[in-house]
Amino acid sequence: MPLNTSSKPESYPAPVLDSASDRESAVGLGGSLWLLVALAVLAGVQAYTILASPAERDMGHLQKIMYVHVPAAWMTFLAFFVVLVFSVLYLFRRRESDDLIAASAAEVGAVFNGLTLLLGMIWGRPAWGVWWVWDARLTSTLVLFLIFVGYLALRAFVEDHGQRARWSAAVGMIGAINVPIVYMSVTWWRTLHQPPSSPATLDPAYTMGLRLNAIAFLFVMVWLIHRRYRISSLERRAERLAEAAAMGGRA
Amino acid sequence: MIESNQTFIVAAFAVTWVALLGYVLHLARRGARAVAEHERMLHESTGER
Amino acid sequence: MAWRDDWRRVRAIARKDLATELRAKAGFNSVASLGVTMLVLLGLALGPDTQALRNAAVGAVWLAALFSGVLAFNRSFQVELDGGALEALLLYPGPRWTIFAGKLLANLLFVSAMVVILVAVGIVLFGVSIPAEWLSLAGVVMLGVVGVVVMGTFYASMASRSRAREVLLPLLLFPMLVPVLLAAIAASQALLGGDLMREAGAWTRLLIAYDLIFLVATFIAFEHVIEA
Repeated sequence: MPLNTSSKPESYPAPVLDSASDRESAVGLGGSLWLLVALAVLAGVQAYTILASPAERDMGHLQKIMYVHVPAAWMTFLAFFVVLVFSVLYLFRRRESDDLIAASAAEVGAVFNGLTLLLGMIWGRPAWGVWWVWDARLTSTLVLFLIFVGYLALRAFVEDHGQRARWSAAVGMIGAINVPIVYMSVTWWRTLHQPPSSPATLDPAYTMGLRLNAIAFLFVMVWLIHRRYRISSLERRAERLAEAAAMGGRA
Repeated sequence: MIESNQTFIVAAFAVTWVALLGYVLHLARRGARAVAEHERMLHESTGER
Repeated sequence: MAWRDDWRRVRAIARKDLATELRAKAGFNSVASLGVTMLVLLGLALGPDTQALRNAAVGAVWLAALFSGVLAFNRSFQVELDGGALEALLLYPGPRWTIFAGKLLANLLFVSAMVVILVAVGIVLFGVSIPAEWLSLAGVVMLGVVGVVVMGTFYASMASRSRAREVLLPLLLFPMLVPVLLAAIAASQALLGGDLMREAGAWTRLLIAYDLIFLVATFIAFEHVIEA
């Protein structure tokens, strides 16, 4: 048994992964059925909603980029919410799994955040004529991305696992509290000095398609976070084995 | 106008799939490394007896 | 009774920090000088058109304050780190929040003094005329400084003990300070221009809310962060 000194956080009783094939399926391509189905559903939903929705008056079919841009944004917020919940949980009960879930959600959230920004720019270029405007939503999402990056950088630069977990939880919690404040302040910043420019409001005809796409994205994101968590879990177990061996402990 | 929009629409969906599949691939590689590392540690610690 | 002891601890830590800074004379002088240097560079980069400079004045002062403030925050934990005194500090009986409060106090005084200098230099270099509501302006600046110091001290308590403190502190801190930056700059600009649109009040309320929220949040979080 790996040593488990009391100063370290209690490790979550990991699922029993006795055989190599079990471990392989946990993180290898074996456990991918959920993902395949989720991606297939996503492709199907995208195809259906693109074909089924009408062309818009001014911009032709450009509005359909919203079918990926908006769900990506929603996933970003959801991921951050997961970071918040598990950061607070970790501070309360000090379970390593809480920390690893929060970190996994942060990484996946950062990916969706980057995607949201890229898609916002791809939509913006034909719509506004430029690659970037300091629009309230886009700017806030950019700041959010930087908060994610800061969280991940902190984890990269702290070696002790207990300290990394505690600090990440604190930073995750405080960062999450700031998210609505950032959005509010940036929105004020944009609206107080000039009348609100025509925002990317959505034609109600698109709402249903949006929700379908969002649900499809959600299934994909759940898999991603779970898989990332399993990988972290396995990495931690390997590290604990290494530590135990280094201390000359008996396996 | 609408023709050039099509490029951007296609680009948006392409970027989405590249991002998602790219990240899946990244996780697959990292997962394989984690499994290999774990196996190695397991054999090393049992081998020490 | 316990309150008195806690307050005495807070003052002791603040006094120790400030004394260390004053003894290492280089401390305040160099950080303030860096801030002034930044103002000069910003003036060079954004000028020489007087109207452009006047428009940029508020932003320039706040940015200079931010960048030099980062140095102050890391230094406030540097002192214990070098001597390994942090562990000793933690062994003393008493609630941990007093450590945070003491450092907050010291940083507040340090950064306030620096900001006074930067505002003065900024007024001169960027050709700003002092408005009638200069007292309100001072209030807004103070509220902004509080926000910056609270967050800066909190993140420095971690960054200063990590492997890449010079880059990690600004990387963590600056995105979190966006609301403060926007609010302080907008309110200051409004006050400088006579606040015809009555905006300053709303931004000031945002600053107060931000300061209160994060004062509480960081105090709570500090307990978990300071354990060695």
